[in-house]
Amino acid sequence: MLKINWFSPLLPARSGVAHYAMQVLPVLARSHDVVLWTDQDQVSPEVHEIARVARYDPAAPPWREINNGAISFYHLGNQRDFHAGIWQVGVQHPGIVVLHDLCLHDFFFMLSVRHGKDRAAYCSAMERWYGQEGRQSAEAYCAGGVSAESMAQKFPLTREAVRNALGVVTHSIRALEELNETPACPVAALDFPYAAAAESRYRVWRAVRDGVPHPPYRLMVFGYLNRNRRLGPLLEALAGMPEREQFRLEMCGQLWDESHIRDRIERLGLSSAVSLHGFLSGDQVEQKLSTAHLAINLRYPSMGEASLSQLQFWDYGLPTLVTHTGWYVSLPEDATAFVRPEYEIADIQAHLRAFLADPGAFRAMGERGRNSLKNHGPERYVDAMTRFAAEALRLSPRVSALALAGRVGSDLREWLPVAASPYLLERASKEICTILEGRRRG
Amino acid sequence: MKILIATSGVPFMRGDAEILAGNLLEALSEAGHEGELAVIPFKDYPPGRIPDQILACRLLDLTETCGVRIDRLIGLKFPAYLIPHPSKVIWLLHQHRAAYELWDHPAGGLIECPDGSVIRDAIRQADRELILEAKAVYGLSQSVSGRLRRYSGIASEPLYHPPANAPLFYKSAAADYFFFPGPVSSVNRQWLAIQALAQCRERVRIRFAGEPGSLAQQAKSANKLKFSDRVEWLGMLSEDQKRDLYANCLGVIFPPVDEDYGYATLEAMLSSKPVITSSDSGGPLEFVLDRQTGLVAHSTPESLAEAMDTLWAERGCAAVMGEAGRAHYRDLHISWANVVEKLLC
Repeated sequence: MLKINWFSPLLPARSGVAHYAMQVLPVLARSHDVVLWTDQDQVSPEVHEIARVARYDPAAPPWREINNGAISFYHLGNQRDFHAGIWQVGVQHPGIVVLHDLCLHDFFFMLSVRHGKDRAAYCSAMERWYGQEGRQSAEAYCAGGVSAESMAQKFPLTREAVRNALGVVTHSIRALEELNETPACPVAALDFPYAAAAESRYRVWRAVRDGVPHPPYRLMVFGYLNRNRRLGPLLEALAGMPEREQFRLEMCGQLWDESHIRDRIERLGLSSAVSLHGFLSGDQVEQKLSTAHLAINLRYPSMGEASLSQLQFWDYGLPTLVTHTGWYVSLPEDATAFVRPEYEIADIQAHLRAFLADPGAFRAMGERGRNSLKNHGPERYVDAMTRFAAEALRLSPRVSALALAGRVGSDLREWLPVAASPYLLERASKEICTILEGRRRG
Repeated sequence: MKILIATSGVPFMRGDAEILAGNLLEALSEAGHEGELAVIPFKDYPPGRIPDQILACRLLDLTETCGVRIDRLIGLKFPAYLIPHPSKVIWLLHQHRAAYELWDHPAGGLIECPDGSVIRDAIRQADRELILEAKAVYGLSQSVSGRLRRYSGIASEPLYHPPANAPLFYKSAAADYFFFPGPVSSVNRQWLAIQALAQCRERVRIRFAGEPGSLAQQAKSANKLKFSDRVEWLGMLSEDQKRDLYANCLGVIFPPVDEDYGYATLEAMLSSKPVITSSDSGGPLEFVLDRQTGLVAHSTPESLAEAMDTLWAERGCAAVMGEAGRAHYRDLHISWANVVEKLLC
């Protein structure tokens, strides 16, 4: 049993990470002593039932109690309000960083510049990882005239988020590798946790879907409908298809700009084919997902985040269209239909036509998605997570070794001529490895 | 033999470890060897820089001096005992205690630092990897050896040594006080003894070596408890004064937290005085035979008060225990000659 410090947004925070935590924590707390650290004003009663909730002030964390835990898990994402305090603790007290977004540029910009009024900290971080180009780009971005999306894609600052970590958990190793931001510490790629509904319940949903008269087929867009959810291209794709009357598109969730979307729908002549439903309650979600035929789950640009909605779609056996980017790239190819960012409208239309030609093939795709959920069980996730934590703990002296090597290198560079340095560098390197990594016996 | 004693020290601070190193040097000289002290300055804050000091020690070359081989290196304290040498013997005074038994004790401190647990693990890793380079490892006491085995998985033999000026300790008639040797610290638990006074049935008096320091406020509380006339702070003592206080006391109170060795115990035994210690005191428990050479209480005011009342009320019994302590010391054959023989074998 490990004594675990858990730092994440907790319900009622309107954060996907808080919902993720509710999948993981009940399982984790069954076999480990978990303390849920929070700087939120409120924490839902159901969270208190899982484990002890402890408050911390990010400016003065209770180090004694935190140090008494065997390991700390820090959950990071781009929402500054939820993750700023967590990062402040994690950068000082090394632990396992769980990346819920991979591009964290926006987080650091908001943290340092917008809210911290500390442009120097942001520019230093950019220089630390991207050299002079990073600093110059940071200054240009602060001055305006560069888009947030392009900065995030070019300078994701993922390594800044994990620079003092003992280990990193990602939900997509491929997406992390594509960012070229590989951390210096061990990395574990775990399948995003999701507790699938029982087979009996699934059979009910399937029967409900079979009973829905079609065509028209019901298309579903669901979740927090931000700018990167590609609603514009989706509407254009639909409007450009002569077969559009065979579909009904339902948008369920909070829209980033509802009036803009309504206007777009009207101008494209899609008023009879598209309906907006706003944020849904639990029962409404079940009703909508069990009667849908195809889910559309596009994101571009992606911050590398995993999609809880995707796993929900699969839970209902729904086939899905996803963007070929970020976390989605690592999804099973036979369980999803990919949309390439550069051929977005054409790919959407092609998939919709393929659906009309052979709905059974898409239905089978949804079944395969549901089957793949067996890899996402929270028990399996927690087991892998804690085994990884134990291994990261074993290697924890590496954090000190790297810091020490950095200090020695930096000091030697100040006074030792290069020609005279090989012996000392070799000696110091060997000693650092021996002292802190135990290579002698390894 | 040309022998280097490698230890570490905090500049401008002198304590038991420095006295021990000096006495070892003297004993080596008396045994006909040429000895020298190599004291590495040590600063334990910020904790993140402790690995730097380990590395500094590792990069030292103490195999020769002016072309002459150094035959033996005796390592005493962290991180100096990690200095490499082909003929190194470690006589471990203690490891970096804040990373071990004092990790979650108020006296530790490392646990209060953000990166405390990582530095703790780095120190433990270095000890595990490097202590075994030595030809032989001895511990200052069973307590120290036990911790080394428990935390680092390394076996070592306890090697006792006499306190400084052991032959000068003497016995005199017992006066109406217990002596509590210094220094004043949370680890030595003078406050526990003051709390115990409040529980005593007898009019027990304690004379404390040292200044109350941070205990001043608590000492004021003692005044409020109306037994200030039973507590005396003696300030800094000369060696002569200390020996007189041992010689004339009824018994010695010494209940520290997991002490490495505890000269106070041996000094009391040399003065033929019984010792009251605690069941979690570490080193003293290796010498105090409960109800034979002293009393082993629990670390609560009530338990300590009961032990103090017992010796206060039964003076004859206290005297017998004191004599038994002196005899026990003699039976242990504690001598510098034995220490030198072991460290050079």
